[in-house]
Amino acid sequence: MAHQQHMKSDISYREVNEDVVRTMTKSGVGYYIALFLSIAGVVFLWWLPWAYQIYTGQGVTGLQTPVFWGIYLTNFIFWIGISHSGTLLSAILFITQTPWRRSIYRSAEAMTFFSVLTAAVFVFVHMGRPWNFYWTMPYPNQRQIWLNFQSPLMFDVFAISTYMTASMIFLYFGSIPDLAAVRDRVTGWRKELYGALSLGWRGTDAEWHWLNKAYTFFAVLIIPLAVSVHSIVSWDFALSKVPGLNKTIFAPYFVVGAIYSGSAGIVTLMVILRKTLRIEKYITTNHFDKLGMLLLVMSLLWSYINVLEVFTGWYADTSFENEALKYRMFTPPYSYMFWLMIFTNTLMPLLLIFRKLRASILISLIVSLGINVGMWIERYLIITTSLPRKFLPYMWHDYSPSLTEISMTIGSFSFFVMLFLLFIKLWPSVSIYEVKEDIGIPMKKEGH
Amino acid sequence: MGKFLDKILERFKIYRIPGYYEKYDHKWTMVIDLDRCNGCEACVVACNAENNVPVVGKEECGNKRTLNWIRIERYVEGEYPNVKVKFIPIMCQHCGKAPCETACPVYATYHNQDGLNVQVYNRCVGTFTCATYCPYDVRRFNWFTYKRDEPLNQQLNPDVTVREMGVMEKCTFCIQRIRAAKDRAKDENRSIRDGEVQPACVQSCPTGAMTFGDMNDPDSKVFKLAKSQRKYKLLEELNADPSVIYLKRVMKDGSSATHEE
Amino acid sequence: MGKAVLGLFTYVDDMLAAADKLKKSGFSDVTIFSPIPLGHEIEHVLGERKNYVKYFTFLGGFTGFFVGTLLALGTAALYVLPRGGRAIFAVTPTVIISYETTILFGVFFTLMGFVLFAKLPSYKKKIYDPEVSIDSFGLLVDVSEADINDVTKTLKESGANEVKTVEEK
Repeated sequence: MAHQQHMKSDISYREVNEDVVRTMTKSGVGYYIALFLSIAGVVFLWWLPWAYQIYTGQGVTGLQTPVFWGIYLTNFIFWIGISHSGTLLSAILFITQTPWRRSIYRSAEAMTFFSVLTAAVFVFVHMGRPWNFYWTMPYPNQRQIWLNFQSPLMFDVFAISTYMTASMIFLYFGSIPDLAAVRDRVTGWRKELYGALSLGWRGTDAEWHWLNKAYTFFAVLIIPLAVSVHSIVSWDFALSKVPGLNKTIFAPYFVVGAIYSGSAGIVTLMVILRKTLRIEKYITTNHFDKLGMLLLVMSLLWSYINVLEVFTGWYADTSFENEALKYRMFTPPYSYMFWLMIFTNTLMPLLLIFRKLRASILISLIVSLGINVGMWIERYLIITTSLPRKFLPYMWHDYSPSLTEISMTIGSFSFFVMLFLLFIKLWPSVSIYEVKEDIGIPMKKEGH
Repeated sequence: MGKFLDKILERFKIYRIPGYYEKYDHKWTMVIDLDRCNGCEACVVACNAENNVPVVGKEECGNKRTLNWIRIERYVEGEYPNVKVKFIPIMCQHCGKAPCETACPVYATYHNQDGLNVQVYNRCVGTFTCATYCPYDVRRFNWFTYKRDEPLNQQLNPDVTVREMGVMEKCTFCIQRIRAAKDRAKDENRSIRDGEVQPACVQSCPTGAMTFGDMNDPDSKVFKLAKSQRKYKLLEELNADPSVIYLKRVMKDGSSATHEE
Repeated sequence: MGKAVLGLFTYVDDMLAAADKLKKSGFSDVTIFSPIPLGHEIEHVLGERKNYVKYFTFLGGFTGFFVGTLLALGTAALYVLPRGGRAIFAVTPTVIISYETTILFGVFFTLMGFVLFAKLPSYKKKIYDPEVSIDSFGLLVDVSEADINDVTKTLKESGANEVKTVEEK
């Protein structure tokens, strides 16, 4: 099989180093403005409202008696979902040795780590007494009262902390050779920093061997982990008795939805990165073509499960289930959101059937943004159309988010952007050594 | 060595019993006769007074953030003048297989030896999971720090904790009264007499619609009432095994009028 | 304190040929520096390396499984709090906790294996040329004083751009 080229083949090794170091060291005014805005967003839209909420109580939210979970949990699932493609996709593509992985996986993995971080903060945001957060961690104590390991939330604690640790290790150890390469090219404080971070990497045959072996095992371990993480997140809902939440399909539905939204997140991110970092020669339309196919497949899977939900609901015809479905599909304002979601997540991705449209950056951007809006709506609908319609009609009450909640939602996006802006300056956001692998090993004799 | 292993095996067998308890010391049960209930809400008031339940005001009531542990659900059927109103008092059902208990990550709610579903306020971190999982919507959350102006703070019941902001609370079947009765019985070296324990709602019910007692005692009033043909449990199909038993209201024409039908 | 010779190559096949030649003439202590992983290509010359990391991963997974099970069951037995009509030792939730800890410990042990075998982190000054993180492939040969010239010549003949004699610390 011919070696498949995904970038221009005339890039030299030296050029890769120079380009990546340039993305880290040279930054324009625009970068600083964006960084400033995102930090301001985090402080004023997230941390200050959060401080207000901690001081005043959860009453500042729009939550009330039947709807105890709202937009915070929506954001939690949304960010966990976004995190799903980076590391998982990177691991799968690494094991299957897919060449187009190489120039996009680093920032995709960073996306995973940052979005898990954002999601994890939302766990504490939605808690009634966040100052007791450590009570949810397993640690030995005098009272000998540990934790309820039968609780779905406990699964969450384990799954998310494992996922965060594993994806951090995966990201870090995949970058060690690149950190070493950067260390050799920079001066001043950067030299010190990358000297420490690269752990004294020299690129000897032994180091490469062990890195490759360890990395393969990380990849192998991360795939079942990622699948379990989003299943467990879905079980927060599916293990209840609430109609509309208690569904056997939820675990696969959430996993599919997570990979779907995560892949869309990658596409959006790649469009922005290649423009702002001027690395068009590494991330080509070929990558968008491949990612577009992935999006299309995930879209079809996702739509299939959605259809199933209505299908089984219609045949089972239980009053509670019917009520939840009707409320979601035909009661404004939820019906508008529902049909918008169907439009962005089922119909719009069908554009990607056409090769020409897949290769178009603009179409990719629009579709991927649409998908993420749709996926956010999906999670919002799951919570806010099931909980207000629980068993006893006397308690039915609709939920609408308060200003504090909306502000913190926007703040979380700022937080993610801030982390990412710091990342692209502090970390090689394109894998140097794997891009070089893609260019090919330099041989004097042709016909390797 | 063999003895030690036997001991472990024995413990293991005990830990494998569903629900852990082979038999509750007391299985506290409440029977509510809907035929007698006239919806006066005296129980709600009594409960508020007994259990230091904060009064939240008009606005928060509109937001469905009332904290009363017991509520009278009203259902109105038909158009005026052919209106039928039905009501049913609902409090924590103290389910034998409570969905809320498995949900709590920090053991803030568990099942005690009396068959009660216990909420530990100090342990609660406020994840809302228990309230979300509760099919009866009986769990209440302290959305704010509720202040009691002078001299209202003087009327707080010293036997009951005043709950902090950010914790979940719910009906306890007036556990402080159960404890007091148990202590008394222990001092006098006897078992608790039937009718000795009365939660505030039962005590205040003018029509005597509510009865509270120990289901383990075959001579108790609740045991006899529970044999009634009118008995049913709320949302029984969810298999939560509630401890509250309702007796159906029977209309003149013979039709029953619980809120379910 | 020994001497070593470092040759920098542009082409991998040149370097591997040189390495092969040196190995055959008795220089066993050969290290290859490269900017990219050279898995299969190197194995022909330096011989196959055993993959010990997998035992670490397995051991980690095994440990993790037991830690998870012990944590879930042991702590439940330590302070018995019955909940939800379930047994204190319930299988279903324990499986999930063990599953997660299996993976967590698997990752940690793999990491330990890597750190142990790759001898990282090491901040001591070692023989290194910054060019090998760009586009040069380095070949480091430990030699005795007498062989320096021979080895230098061999490396040059095989196509090395630059050959340096370095002091090993």
